[in-house]
Amino acid sequence: MKRIRQISVFVENRPGRLLEVVDLLGKHNINIKALSLADSSDFGIVRLVVKGVDEAIRVLKENGFTVSETAIIACMIDDKPGSLASILRTLAENQINIEYMYGFASPVEGKAVMVFKFSETEKAQEILKEHNIKMLSQEEIREI
Amino acid sequence: MIYDDELETLPREALQALQLKRLQNTVERVYNLVPFYRKKLDKVNVKPEDIKSLDDLKRLPFTTKQDLRDNYPFGLFTIPLEQVVRVHASSGTTGKPTVVGYSKRDIDIWSDLMARSLAAAGVSKGDIIQNAYGYGLFTGGLGAHYGGERLGATVIPISGGNTKKQIMIMKDFGSTVLTATPSYTLYLAETIHDMGVKREELKLRVGILGAEPWSEEMRNAIEEKLGIDAIDIYGLSEILGPGVAIECIEAKKGLHIWEDAFIPEIIDPETGEVLPDGEEGELVITTIQKEAIPLLRYRTRDITRIIKEPCKCGRTHRRIERIKGRTDDMLIIRGVNIFPSQIESLLMETEGVEPHYQIIVDRVNNLDTMEVKVEVSEKIFSDEIKHLQRLKEQIEKDIKDLYGISVKVTLAEPKTLQRFEGKAKRVIDKRKI
Repeated sequence: MKRIRQISVFVENRPGRLLEVVDLLGKHNINIKALSLADSSDFGIVRLVVKGVDEAIRVLKENGFTVSETAIIACMIDDKPGSLASILRTLAENQINIEYMYGFASPVEGKAVMVFKFSETEKAQEILKEHNIKMLSQEEIREI
Repeated sequence: MIYDDELETLPREALQALQLKRLQNTVERVYNLVPFYRKKLDKVNVKPEDIKSLDDLKRLPFTTKQDLRDNYPFGLFTIPLEQVVRVHASSGTTGKPTVVGYSKRDIDIWSDLMARSLAAAGVSKGDIIQNAYGYGLFTGGLGAHYGGERLGATVIPISGGNTKKQIMIMKDFGSTVLTATPSYTLYLAETIHDMGVKREELKLRVGILGAEPWSEEMRNAIEEKLGIDAIDIYGLSEILGPGVAIECIEAKKGLHIWEDAFIPEIIDPETGEVLPDGEEGELVITTIQKEAIPLLRYRTRDITRIIKEPCKCGRTHRRIERIKGRTDDMLIIRGVNIFPSQIESLLMETEGVEPHYQIIVDRVNNLDTMEVKVEVSEKIFSDEIKHLQRLKEQIEKDIKDLYGISVKVTLAEPKTLQRFEGKAKRVIDKRKI
């Protein structure tokens, strides 16, 4: 099964904190492929897909951040109107719940990459496979 | 191990007879040598010869911290300064410090009481004591030092702070005993982990921790993190310094107060009325062995109760329960009384919370507010907001259910809350009244 590794970082809501995370990765030459920020009133979680996951985790931990790793699914879809709706419809029809999702920062010619966290990852993957939706592996992420 | 077999296991009647004799001597001493006490005793019409039984203790007036301040620096000493071999003082964050003096005999007795305390905690001759209490005007450092030497252990007088060096020495010298505040011990544990030092590289066996109130749950956290026995020790400079009372390692339940040197009472802090054993109130101590500055019925402001039931270790000296807090540390939030140690207990029982917290009290629109900041641990950190939100709400609900006050819980990043090398300051009260 194709999964990719996502890093989550706990951050307090205060000015400059996200910058510190991103800056640290930049200084260590770690490229961020996708990023999303989930927030509550006084803290947030930065979710990242990067090239060089182990290095990123090490650097963040060394600098005192609380980090966890989660397996998520990346799907490559056509970059045209209605293609995201189509995949979401497939998931909805099969009773798959999405915990969260976000898109890749860097464009791929004619394609878009979305990452998903499902409540039931295995089941979701089977359905995506049945419907011929392309999922990316960690290696493939590194190449785009 | 029992250090002083005879005195520590003296039958209660003999112990009480000894107390009475020593109390009579003390009252006579202060009446004749300290004008402050003569005036006080005359005012309530009590002469030294009126003390005929231990029950007469309650006829004596209280001594307060303010009395020590009013007689700053040496006004309550019974001996001329040339016979005083050492002075210590409290930190005195508010106003003048309180000063205490020791004669040669006082230092001697203190060393014995401290040696006794260390032995009760399971320390013996062959041990290496890393003494991380601060050396200086604070009694912690020198008190533990002299006790350790008296016991015949090897003392490393490293004092507080310099954490990485502490750990290097702990490892290289093979320290078996740590004497420090509980909050500094936690900080040491965390640094040991961060430095990648393995538990097997350390010989540490026992921590003798005190100088600030801490909870049973904090003990569990320390014992688990360091793999040691954490023993609660009690003392205050006005009375002696460390070595007034200590838990025995056999029971680890309540602190034996050395009744051949101190007479404890529990009073209602509002009315001053003496409460029966077992009831919670303010601890009042009369020193009956002190030479330079004996104090009659000193109000410690510490909240505890006396456990009169015999202890399985065989010592006959009664125990006091772990100190709940100081009357001046008690927070009154919208009319509800709460001690920081109660919040601590609750936090320590919540899974996923690190033993580092801060309580911020403020007043917004004439309403008291309380914010509790806690650090999240890697163990509990989840990549989903709702899990963290649930943790936060759970703590808020627990505090509300137990103490009836609404607080705001804020999750903080690890290692962002202040760490302490000496006594912890966990409460920030911003209220201006």
